[in-house]
Amino acid sequence: MSSTQSSHSLAFRVMRLCRPTFHVETPLRFDLTDLIIGEDLLDDPSAAPHLLRLLQSQSTAIDSSTDLTYSNRFLLRDGLSDAMGLPGMLVLPQAFGAIYLGETFCSYISINNSSSFEVRDIIIKAEIQTERQRILLLDTTKTPVETIRAGGRYDFIVEHDVKELGPHTLVCTALYSDGDSERKYLPQYFKFIVSNPLSVRTKVRVVKACLENNTKSNLYMDQVDFEPTPQWSATLLKADDHHSEKDALTREVFKPPILIRSGGGIHNYLYQLKSSMDGSAPTKFEGSNVLGKLQITWRTNLGEPGRLQTQQIIGNPITHKEVELKAMQVPSVIILEKPFTVCLSLTNLTEKNLGPFEVLLSLTDNQEEKAVMVNGLKRMDLPQVEAFESLDFKLSLIAVELGMQKISGITLFNTMEKKSYDPLPDVEIFVDA
Amino acid sequence: MDLQNKMEDQGETLISTPDHPLNNAFGSLNDICYELSSLQELACRGSWRSILDKVTRARTQSLLTKPHEHLIYLSYYAIALTKLRRFSEAVTELDSLENGLDNVIYSYENYPHHYPNRYGSMAPFVLRWLYAELPSRVENRQETLDRFYLLLQFVREKSTKSSSGMSDDIWRKREGLVINSIISHHLSHKEFGVCLDLINDLINRESTPVARAVLTSKLGYIQMQLGDLEGAKASFAAVEGVVTKEVEMKNLVNRNKALMFMVGKDYVSAVREYQECIDRDDSDVVAINNKALCLMYLRDLSDSIKVMENALERVPTAALNETFVVNLCSMYELAHVNHSDIKKTLSNWIARVAPDDFDTSCTRL
Repeated sequence: MSSTQSSHSLAFRVMRLCRPTFHVETPLRFDLTDLIIGEDLLDDPSAAPHLLRLLQSQSTAIDSSTDLTYSNRFLLRDGLSDAMGLPGMLVLPQAFGAIYLGETFCSYISINNSSSFEVRDIIIKAEIQTERQRILLLDTTKTPVETIRAGGRYDFIVEHDVKELGPHTLVCTALYSDGDSERKYLPQYFKFIVSNPLSVRTKVRVVKACLENNTKSNLYMDQVDFEPTPQWSATLLKADDHHSEKDALTREVFKPPILIRSGGGIHNYLYQLKSSMDGSAPTKFEGSNVLGKLQITWRTNLGEPGRLQTQQIIGNPITHKEVELKAMQVPSVIILEKPFTVCLSLTNLTEKNLGPFEVLLSLTDNQEEKAVMVNGLKRMDLPQVEAFESLDFKLSLIAVELGMQKISGITLFNTMEKKSYDPLPDVEIFVDA
Repeated sequence: MDLQNKMEDQGETLISTPDHPLNNAFGSLNDICYELSSLQELACRGSWRSILDKVTRARTQSLLTKPHEHLIYLSYYAIALTKLRRFSEAVTELDSLENGLDNVIYSYENYPHHYPNRYGSMAPFVLRWLYAELPSRVENRQETLDRFYLLLQFVREKSTKSSSGMSDDIWRKREGLVINSIISHHLSHKEFGVCLDLINDLINRESTPVARAVLTSKLGYIQMQLGDLEGAKASFAAVEGVVTKEVEMKNLVNRNKALMFMVGKDYVSAVREYQECIDRDDSDVVAINNKALCLMYLRDLSDSIKVMENALERVPTAALNETFVVNLCSMYELAHVNHSDIKKTLSNWIARVAPDDFDTSCTRL
């Protein structure tokens, strides 16, 4: 909270008003039995009945509502759960804390008149300034606050959904007439930084989203949904719930939460994608590869919410290899302008027959002549290849330039399905004179 | 003169008086131990410095005549040091026990003149609890957890070996205590997963619906703290099902309802629920504190301060706790530009009224 200049009657006081937390501690409170007798004394049958009577009378004396001592700081009441140190008492946020993208920034703002005179006609504004924009949160220009008496206050609460990263400034200004009827202007600035709460890394095919918690709190994952584009449907894959037998009572009220540990904890979500048309698994992605996006909502203390949406998640082109084309044998000596033979192998990786095929040396975009060209017909026909079978064939090539060259652009085309596959990776050769 | 020597000396010199059941050796606290009711009264008033004086005097003037009295006085001394946040001194005090509590010199059978036909440990159980708790207060949290889990094992073994129903009860109670202490440590470190499992164990061990209801409410608070609102709602619903006439239980139900309203940001309804509690029991400090916070979220800082100050005036021994003061001081800091003045007034009042162990750093002066 920044201090004011001494010439101002007014000053802003600001307190971040996110949700409170439960007070937790290990109390130093004891049961009388554990204090005043030996731990095994109740084993003594002659002592036990008297002791129990004494202990009982002591605790009744203390429980009475006329107890004006601090015994509640020393003794445990019946039903020892006081020892858990969770009385249900709430604590106000004690520090500004870290602010993360997707959260709601909420603040109590109080304007105090610490002078001995009334101030009048106060126009109050509160706005958030970021690198990109200014967002107005409050403006009393149309209905100025008429007066704040000496020693008085005017309070308001502002809220803002944080949608930008980086430095933010809460700018509070007051335009007012002071005790001398002088019009004065008070600006105050409260700075904070907005960080990214989650790192989201995806692997596509089965969409695997790995969420890493970059905040200082544990995050309770309320909902993590993958929203696919219309051509896909997505199902969340879950591991079996292997929790042991629980009592009927607790099973009703208790479902283990998904909690991502603070400071780098990770949780993975797996979604199986199916084509919404024929229900098949994606084997190829043509045209637009957009799969969808993740909608993430989380909660921290007392349900303080945060939410984020990822950008569109893109599928890989041809994620599932149907065929493999390999160069098996390339001559070690290649002479300029002398034809040489390259042995190639085509393997069908799928469970159904593929083909027939065509093999071509595709030209580059600008139709330049390549350094290595097919000797013979541009196109070679290959028959159908059965499931999981290979076909060996030869290509006759000729090099027209000297030195280190590449055999590139050998492409396979499936004439039945009318589609082409990734070309053979470039093969480097040395062309001698 | 260390403890062991003292105790053995007295074992030799005194004439034993056998305990006769008809004499009722335990009619009052002072029958158990020299001036125990005075020690107990000082402890309840929070006069821990006086306890240190009293124990020191008893030791230097050799006022304690029986071995077990030394252990009781040692317990109160160690507790007093811990309460006054003099943690390393408390550790030293416990270290004065020769080779730990299981040493035979701390058993009844070692002094048959004093304790004919009595067997077992004469050490108050609190010493074992303190032994486990203290490392965490001197920056060694891991040691505390280890010791508490070992203590849990110890207590469970005692429970299975116990010779009577009463003894079994007492060890089962201690088992519950130790589990609660373990939960509090995991809670302080936000290790919520293990807390949820342990609390469910505790709930299943409880035989009375009221005890289960109190624990289930705490389960609800933990679920709420980590953001599992659906889980909290279900827990509180289970608590509501317990029918009772007790004021404490009724207030618990209202407070739980208020919390659900709070997380839904319906602060007006939350205030209403808390007010019902306060009307029923005007020393329900949890309700008073939480009601004041709701008023803040309703932009009514003035009234929230009034509620807090009023409670301190009316029921100081109930309301004066560090959390309450922390909240009130946060409100002062927001409401006043020159808040040190008003905090000083509060601080002076606290100095007059508070127990010795009150941690004044909560005023942030």
